[in-house]
Amino acid sequence: MRSISSTLGLLLLLGITFSRSAVAEPPDFDHLIAPLIARRCLSCHIGHEPKGGLDLSTRDSAMTGGDSGKVIQAGHPDESLLWDYVFSDEMPPKKPLSDAEKTLLQSWIASGAKWGTEKIDPFRFTTEHRAGGDWWSLQPLPSPSPPKIEPADWDDAKNPIDAFVYARLYAAGLTPSIEADRRSLIRRLSFDLMGLPPTPDEIHAFLEDKSANAYENLVDRLLASPHYGEHWARHWLDVIRFGESNGFEYDQPRNNAWPYRNWVINSLNNDLPYDEFVRLQLAGDVLRPKSIDAAAAVGFLVAGPHNTTLPANEPMRMTMAQDELEDLVGVIGQTFLGLTVNCARCHDHKFDPISQKEYYQLAALLSGVRHGERTIQVKLRKDDQQRRSNIEERLVRIEVELDAIEQPIRNSILSVRKSGQSTGSRPPHALATWEFDGDHIGRYQEKRGTLNAKANGGARVEDGSLIVGGKPAYVATQPLSVDLGEKTLEAWVTLDNLDQRGGGVLTVQSLDGLRFDAIVFGEREPKKWMAGSNGFVRTKSFTGIEEREAEKRSIHFAIVYREDGTIFGYRDGMPYGKPYHSGTLQRFKSGDVQILFGMRHSPVGGNRMLAGRIHRAQLYDRALTAGEIETSFAAGDLNFVSESELLEKLTPEQRQSREMLVDEAQKLNIEKEAIQKSQRQTLYTCVPQNPGITRVLRRGNVTDPTDEVAPAGLSAVTGVQADFQLAANASDADRRRKLAEWITHKENPLFARVIVNRLWHYHFGQGLVTTPSDFGFNGGTPSHPELLDWLAQQLVRNEYSLKSLHRLIVTSATYRQSSTTNAKAVRLDVDNRLLWRRTPKRLSAEEIRDAVLVATGKLNAHVGGKGYRDVRHFSFKGSNFYESVAETSLGAKRRTIYRFTPRGGRNPFLDTFDCPDPSTSTPQRATTTTPLQALALMNNELIFEMTDEFAERVTRKSGDNLAAQIRRVYLIAYAREANDDEVAFASPFVAKYGLPAFCRVVLNSNEFLYLR
Amino acid sequence: MPMSTHIVNRRGFLSSSTASITSTALLSLLMRDRAVLADSVSGEAKGLPHHPVQAKRVIHLCLCGGVSQIDSFDYKPELEKFHGKSLQSEERPATFFNQVGLIRKNDWGFKQHGESGLWVSDLFPHLSEVADELTVIRSMVADSANHTPATFEENSGFRLNGFPVMGSWVSYGLGSETDELPSFVVLPDSRGLPAGGTINWSNGFLPAQHQGVAFQSEGTPIHDLFPARQLPDGQDRDSRELLAQLNRKHLEETGVDDAMMARMHSYELAAKMQLAVPKVTDLNQETTVTRKMYGLDETETADFGARCLLTRRLLEQGVRFVQLFSGGSFGSPRINWDGHEDVKKNHSREAARMDQPVAALIKDLRQRGMLEDTLILCTSEFGRTPFTQSAADKVGTGRDHNMYGFSIWMAGAGLKHGMAYGSTDDVGWKAVENPVHWYDYHATVLHLLGIDHERLTYYHNGIQRRLTNVHGEVLHGILS
Repeated sequence: MRSISSTLGLLLLLGITFSRSAVAEPPDFDHLIAPLIARRCLSCHIGHEPKGGLDLSTRDSAMTGGDSGKVIQAGHPDESLLWDYVFSDEMPPKKPLSDAEKTLLQSWIASGAKWGTEKIDPFRFTTEHRAGGDWWSLQPLPSPSPPKIEPADWDDAKNPIDAFVYARLYAAGLTPSIEADRRSLIRRLSFDLMGLPPTPDEIHAFLEDKSANAYENLVDRLLASPHYGEHWARHWLDVIRFGESNGFEYDQPRNNAWPYRNWVINSLNNDLPYDEFVRLQLAGDVLRPKSIDAAAAVGFLVAGPHNTTLPANEPMRMTMAQDELEDLVGVIGQTFLGLTVNCARCHDHKFDPISQKEYYQLAALLSGVRHGERTIQVKLRKDDQQRRSNIEERLVRIEVELDAIEQPIRNSILSVRKSGQSTGSRPPHALATWEFDGDHIGRYQEKRGTLNAKANGGARVEDGSLIVGGKPAYVATQPLSVDLGEKTLEAWVTLDNLDQRGGGVLTVQSLDGLRFDAIVFGEREPKKWMAGSNGFVRTKSFTGIEEREAEKRSIHFAIVYREDGTIFGYRDGMPYGKPYHSGTLQRFKSGDVQILFGMRHSPVGGNRMLAGRIHRAQLYDRALTAGEIETSFAAGDLNFVSESELLEKLTPEQRQSREMLVDEAQKLNIEKEAIQKSQRQTLYTCVPQNPGITRVLRRGNVTDPTDEVAPAGLSAVTGVQADFQLAANASDADRRRKLAEWITHKENPLFARVIVNRLWHYHFGQGLVTTPSDFGFNGGTPSHPELLDWLAQQLVRNEYSLKSLHRLIVTSATYRQSSTTNAKAVRLDVDNRLLWRRTPKRLSAEEIRDAVLVATGKLNAHVGGKGYRDVRHFSFKGSNFYESVAETSLGAKRRTIYRFTPRGGRNPFLDTFDCPDPSTSTPQRATTTTPLQALALMNNELIFEMTDEFAERVTRKSGDNLAAQIRRVYLIAYAREANDDEVAFASPFVAKYGLPAFCRVVLNSNEFLYLR
Repeated sequence: MPMSTHIVNRRGFLSSSTASITSTALLSLLMRDRAVLADSVSGEAKGLPHHPVQAKRVIHLCLCGGVSQIDSFDYKPELEKFHGKSLQSEERPATFFNQVGLIRKNDWGFKQHGESGLWVSDLFPHLSEVADELTVIRSMVADSANHTPATFEENSGFRLNGFPVMGSWVSYGLGSETDELPSFVVLPDSRGLPAGGTINWSNGFLPAQHQGVAFQSEGTPIHDLFPARQLPDGQDRDSRELLAQLNRKHLEETGVDDAMMARMHSYELAAKMQLAVPKVTDLNQETTVTRKMYGLDETETADFGARCLLTRRLLEQGVRFVQLFSGGSFGSPRINWDGHEDVKKNHSREAARMDQPVAALIKDLRQRGMLEDTLILCTSEFGRTPFTQSAADKVGTGRDHNMYGFSIWMAGAGLKHGMAYGSTDDVGWKAVENPVHWYDYHATVLHLLGIDHERLTYYHNGIQRRLTNVHGEVLHGILS
């Protein structure tokens, strides 16, 4: 296509030439000769080392000649070597000049070889080998009007998109397909806009909606759903290769990269105008220094891999930095402009009009970007401040009121108890004591109600003990609001068996589970207690005795952590083996510390789970002495007044008012916590540095710097000024502000074209341009150029509203076509570039997982937050690894967009279904079909657990009636009713193997996996 | 556009952008003897091989950490003379830690071996026995002396994350000879994954079926090979049958669709894989003599030996590319070849794990007639410095990373055997004669597989990507 169009252009020019040369006027150099030389000669004859030593780009060099001497004798073509070569077809080597071109050249030399503008710009014109400044995508946006189509056809057409599409279809002798049925439409729309299937109720409502605007109303409802942002954020994260670890050797986790993901989701949901969406990602921190959202947005700049393994050798470090800068320049050029600017790092771009110098100009705009974390303090709003102080006052009053009720009774209980037996010295005063009594998991003894612990995975309280079963049962508290340095952990515990290896009894951990200190049984040495810690950094053997009794009776075990790093173990009040020095004390910060019972550290799973009964536990914020431990052991439960004892002695009235007070305190504390948390946020983001001076590196070599460049844009992008008037040493802030202005400028034609095409790509499975991140010479040409430009204009006119654009696209008749195939169209347009039907689409990896969760009715639809982890992170010899954890153990059931995505810890299930490598920009996913997918979808534990729940959900609704069950499964999975034949067909299988087995088959079927 | 690719058959995959449904498409799905490659932009199918095939399959022994060339395959008698002296050079050598000590002579003795008289050090007594099978390149150069970028370059030709590795490219180019096993299998060291974990066998931007499948040493070798739960007899079979019927009915409604048909076929292949994988991984099917030859009876060699033996069995069943890792991640104490502290101690330990098994693998493939069309590659991401990593006036015991000159070896199909190609300077620091870059090595490997490295391309974000980027010269000097 491209060579034909450029040849056509040339012929038109030549038409004029002949008429002019007839009157023997010299041909206009700038308009006729320069383009000819640029197109046909300059691929080789330009630059530092031109072929044959001949540089034809400037007057001097052309007239001087090359290795064979002078090549142009003005006025004498026959004596000119240049003419000899061209006339004999020796040059250009592969495709000689046409007769018309030859005539033109000959007449130019004959007329005196007058030169025009000094240097011929080699990038000005498109040639057979490369794009020039006249390349289609670089031209300003025209305002095309939709073509006229026959009035009869407007019956089918819904909006101007259809006029563009129909016109091309008719021209090719094809017709559009009829509109798809409503069930297909709602399933298609739900997945395309939200990435989720419609519910039976939604299907029903849509089918019943007889209004003229039923379809449009459905579109509006789906676009307003918060799930819209989640789905489209996934597309965006693919393109900008968002990952949550560094990659390379160390591959450290980025625990605070998720705010960027959430920012993308929220921005899309709020329909933040696309230009603002992009401006904030490039320079949000500069444009809105105080905004936490803007800080999250520039997470874009640090979304890619980053190598923190630094050699001592300077050039090696510089090369690494240049490699990463190229990656960033590449992603920015491709994402926003569809230009592969990164290809010009070592030489001028081979295919697009981008010089090596311009690469460094653009790189200079980004050379202040550095990876890092920022903790942002947000000033509390006035009303929040007021609310907090109200809460605090009320908490104090509650404390007083509770004391008034409890203290007399507690005293009387203790005095009765102590009159019976004397324990000698007073046991030490704990920061917190947990009794497992009644239906309370426990609470702080001093600060009532602050402990909001949650029992998980079947952990339960029974007979005064917490029962944890070894499987996913454990208890975790809310974050504690105390700093912990020195500390003592103490627990009374009975074990289910002495062969278990690694369960935790009592753990203090950071909320992400990455740092912890814990009482652990049997992990490193069978049958021995140890002080568990992250990566064993504070763990050594106490060299204590093997445990023989904990199966039969309650054992008291305590670990003391001293400031100097010494760790002591005690069993039944006596030293357990020997203390040791662990290096340093692990400190935990208020708000980022919690207590676990029954699990060594989070996440759930592996050998971390304890099987046993925990009777009592205490936490101290200081290191107890041996004497104190002994006393505490001896005192046992004596000094603690348990919940049940207390309740027993309270009058019903007292009990009721106490309960109300405790409930109130709990609620207030949660509220207070939330207020305080909203005050600070740590983000993985761009932490800019002085960008310094950028120089062009010869062949990209860091040890060979040449000319200094000022930060600037690309001159090939028409309509916007590439010179930013920035000094070579301009500040990072100025650089990125200018970059953002330039990229998002209304007159930048690439900016709108590229995003419009991306949206089209995701809706139809292929873009109008089939290479969404490349609008250059190597990319595709648009199938409907006027439509692309018209859509781009619509976007600009609608103030960059992406939702408006979605609405425009999905309400078109083109989008609503059925997917039925037809032989003639297949023969003429097998790839469906002309859009004669809807191309069926397989669900993406995320859509499959999400749809399976929806089928169970148990998808956690919570929007935002930190996300979930299906990997176990561990450090080994300085490198970080992410081991897959069975998803069924997570209890997360959140949408896949919220998966923590370390580069070295991909999810095999998602990978199999083409979830891309988070290190590489993926503007279009492949869709493969492999036996590994079949294995994953048939055999993964997730499928079994989910089909159990799917079947249970169906049975709840449909009862024991087999036919009703089958119909319900069809409705949920396929969005349609099963017919009688289908019910009869499936019944024997369901009768024999049960409903879950049938659900498993359905979730593997093509009708479930494909959108039609 | 390669937006849908369906692996379904022997030696190839069909690519199509839409559900183009013709009998020819179906025929292509079932076609077994011709690889069909789709150019991602033009959609043109390009047949492979590009030229006669020497090697049909590849074993890559990936030695992590950097093997010292002067202690293994690059004999430098001059080092004896320079021992304890500083390097005579205008420039200060660039190393990772920038601690340039005095020159240290080789820690192992060297002998000539076999009829060829190839020099191999005593570090590899078993490999020495098969010296006549080896093709050593002593003039390798790399662009990074930092482990992970260097390892990425060794395997993918690029120093960054996210590019497809050679095994993925070969899988993409040639597919698999079997329906029942993945085409690219990875066998990590039992002591741990290499740094970066799965990043090391990424398909990058190539379609997912070309990702390396790492066989797990515990549990089933492949994820989800069998149902996660015990099922009643017949349920799995009947489920597949019901699924096939549902899909057939659905296809009658929708009209023929090649992607959906390929998916139906993929369930049949999955069932075959369930039979094939346990069979191929059952090393008890080998004789005691064979197991002993690979060192399965000795603690030191058992891990690598088992993986070498499994490699042979995988290749026999048609797997295209097997990559074995010798060594895991970095850091101390070392579990790979990264001998910063003490090369003698480090390399002795590492070599003892793999020397005998690798020699056994070569002998075994030879005796079974497989070495004629199998290519074995043994590489590390860079070499080590002739001077020690120590104070400037000390001869230390450890050596730093050296990207300027190091040795790798190849064996098997299409090579001149028992030869050494290229050379380094007198002390084994820099390549001086016939320097070979990773691009050239990659080009040569593809060449032996019948692939022109400039024509095996995949369109990604504006560039027809190649394993060799824009470089690469086939090393005709080592070809038979």
